[in-house]
Amino acid sequence: MIVAAVKVSILAMGVIFTVLTVLIGVIQLLVKFIPYVEPPAPPARKTAPASGTGSEEEAETLAAIHVAVAHHRGESPQAIQVTNIQSH
Amino acid sequence: MEFTLSDSLSRIASSTGFAALTGGHVIMLLVSLVLFYLAIWKQFEPLLLLPIGMGCLLANLPLTGLANTVDGGLFNIFYYGVKHEILPPLIFLGVGALTDFGPMLANPYTLFLGAAAQIGVYTTLVGAVALGFNMQEASAIGIIGGADGPTSIFLAAKLAPHLLGPIAVAAYSYMSLVPLIQPPIMRFFTTKKEREVRMEQLKPISPNVKIIFPIAVTVICCLMLPGVAPLLGMFMLGNLFRESGVTQRLSETAQTHLINIVTILLALSVGSSMTAESFLTLETIKIIVLGLIAFCFATAGGVLFGKLMYIFTKGKVNPLIGSAGVSAVPMAARVSQKVGAEELKGNYLLMHAMGPNVAGVIGSAVAAGVFLSLFGDVGAAHSTAMVLTVGE
Repeated sequence: MIVAAVKVSILAMGVIFTVLTVLIGVIQLLVKFIPYVEPPAPPARKTAPASGTGSEEEAETLAAIHVAVAHHRGESPQAIQVTNIQSH
Repeated sequence: MEFTLSDSLSRIASSTGFAALTGGHVIMLLVSLVLFYLAIWKQFEPLLLLPIGMGCLLANLPLTGLANTVDGGLFNIFYYGVKHEILPPLIFLGVGALTDFGPMLANPYTLFLGAAAQIGVYTTLVGAVALGFNMQEASAIGIIGGADGPTSIFLAAKLAPHLLGPIAVAAYSYMSLVPLIQPPIMRFFTTKKEREVRMEQLKPISPNVKIIFPIAVTVICCLMLPGVAPLLGMFMLGNLFRESGVTQRLSETAQTHLINIVTILLALSVGSSMTAESFLTLETIKIIVLGLIAFCFATAGGVLFGKLMYIFTKGKVNPLIGSAGVSAVPMAARVSQKVGAEELKGNYLLMHAMGPNVAGVIGSAVAAGVFLSLFGDVGAAHSTAMVLTVGE
């Protein structure tokens, strides 16, 4: 029985190494034919010159907040004046 | 019917669990307390040992009908998930969704380390046979050396269901003890110079390779070893959820809620199989000892193969990553990192060790597949399929 167990062990280790060797071959083929390509760098952000009202993007965000607050209060956007914005 | 106070009291007393409590139950209740201690106070695999402990406790409270052997009982129904190959493959689905094959794909030769660590499985198989277990039982015990709980449960449920409780407890207990068991063995088999090797940075892998790989593994492994299809198929499906990039919701579910729910069901089922009658036997002690031997040989096998790679690559591979070839993801990889960093500060082996670590998961599943091909009923299923084909 022990001899049979030793035979099974040798056979099974052989099968495991064979299966994993096949997988290594597959991986090498995949890596060879589908190489890694560096993703294109994201386009550089356009920065508007600093001014009293901030960048164009900030102005858009500010307008959106302005309208949302007005809508929430049920008032006209003209009736609300944003005087100070602080980031935390 | 005459109704006296003494009779009523006697009836109530005899209907309580206390009346049916045996010495075996008490011992098993103490075992469950040890599991609670390890899980809660020592934090050894708490996600598993805690529900296993509770399952064991409930199964050994007499007259509750919660042992998994009680037909129609709650845990008996949960146990169907183990018996019918549902829960372990679902755990593998979650593990697959959590696994990044990148490090292994970047250094595919680490797959050999995952194979070498399976030596623990086979030395234990021989040891189990020497201790009087038959080949099916010995195979189920040996797979403890693969350090993979779901695979151990899957194989035990198929080849030796009567040993499921002790095998699962041994597997998960030793997995939780990986940080204690492995370092002395790793240091024993390596020199200081070998432990100080810094490995080169891994090259990046194309996302398309990561998508094709799980499909390729499924086709190759399931054709070569059909018995392992439930485990490897689910493992690779989980990974495909992750890598495809188009099933984010499924990937997140598999990684979190699904794996958590299945873990609860699986661990309770395993715990409820630890009844006094099935657990308090000489076989259990043998399995606990054999499980430890399996872990030690698996670690040694991985490290020794790592040394071989160190020699062949002229010192480019740190043999410490070999110990991660036992699956126990990601704990075994962390142990390689910790031992390496203790030897040489700032030596980061973690990503390199993740390669053999995930290779170990594939390796132990393949080892289980080999056992199923040899001793399972895969042949019978094939014969049935043949008969059906002829009949049609």
